[in-house]
Amino acid sequence: MDDARAARLVDGALRCYPARWRRRHGDEAAELAALLIRDGASAGSIALSYLAGAAREWLTPRPGGRLTTAACALLIAVCALGVSAVLLSPPAPARAAITPTRGAAGGTSHVRGHAHCRSGSDGPVPDVIRALGQLPVMIWTAGHDRSC
Amino acid sequence: MRVSGRDGRAGQDVLRRVGEASVLILISLADGPKHGYALIQDIKELADVELGPGTLYGALDRLERLDLIESLPADDRRHPYRITAPGAAALRVHLDSLERVSAAGRLRLRLGGV
Repeated sequence: MDDARAARLVDGALRCYPARWRRRHGDEAAELAALLIRDGASAGSIALSYLAGAAREWLTPRPGGRLTTAACALLIAVCALGVSAVLLSPPAPARAAITPTRGAAGGTSHVRGHAHCRSGSDGPVPDVIRALGQLPVMIWTAGHDRSC
Repeated sequence: MRVSGRDGRAGQDVLRRVGEASVLILISLADGPKHGYALIQDIKELADVELGPGTLYGALDRLERLDLIESLPADDRRHPYRITAPGAAALRVHLDSLERVSAAGRLRLRLGGV
């Protein structure tokens, strides 16, 4: 591998680190990689080592820090899923409106807004959707004193 | 977590869970400050272990957060690191612990006639 390609490979791996890490170690890490390549180390193994280091850096919680980026991403994903689930679930009042009630005068259907309105009780799928809708609330409650 | 020789954890082996790379870095820094490249070379000679640069910086950051090493002002682009007094104390405790385990292991091998 030529020098320019090796440098690009290492540079790409270093870009995976958080900005604060690059500000502190970025120049030195690039120089160290160049020295190690000069000594015969393969650029690929150095880039892999930096990639693994970058993954650790993103996933390791900072001491006294707040919710990690990965946890924030997970929280956002779960929130998005919850919102989508709520939007996709059939509206309960509409189902309640077409539910016939027994004992109504004349044996005909009678519309009552609140009668037999058990939202999401038609089967397992609505229950799952409702549970997904609750997830963000549960997660937020668990980490109530944290923020991104 | 910060480690201080003055707090109640003095004498505890705080290096038990930091990993081999961190211990090797502390041993390498025990005879004077070094920067990243010198650390990698020294550890290769000392222990025949080739530390990857990603592993090195991860361990350096961790040791610095624990106050076991400190970064000195940059020399050109290179930051030399120096072991701190709590770092030296922690390393002594860890090496003592390793020695005890090692002695016990050798004794058992002799007793077992293996």
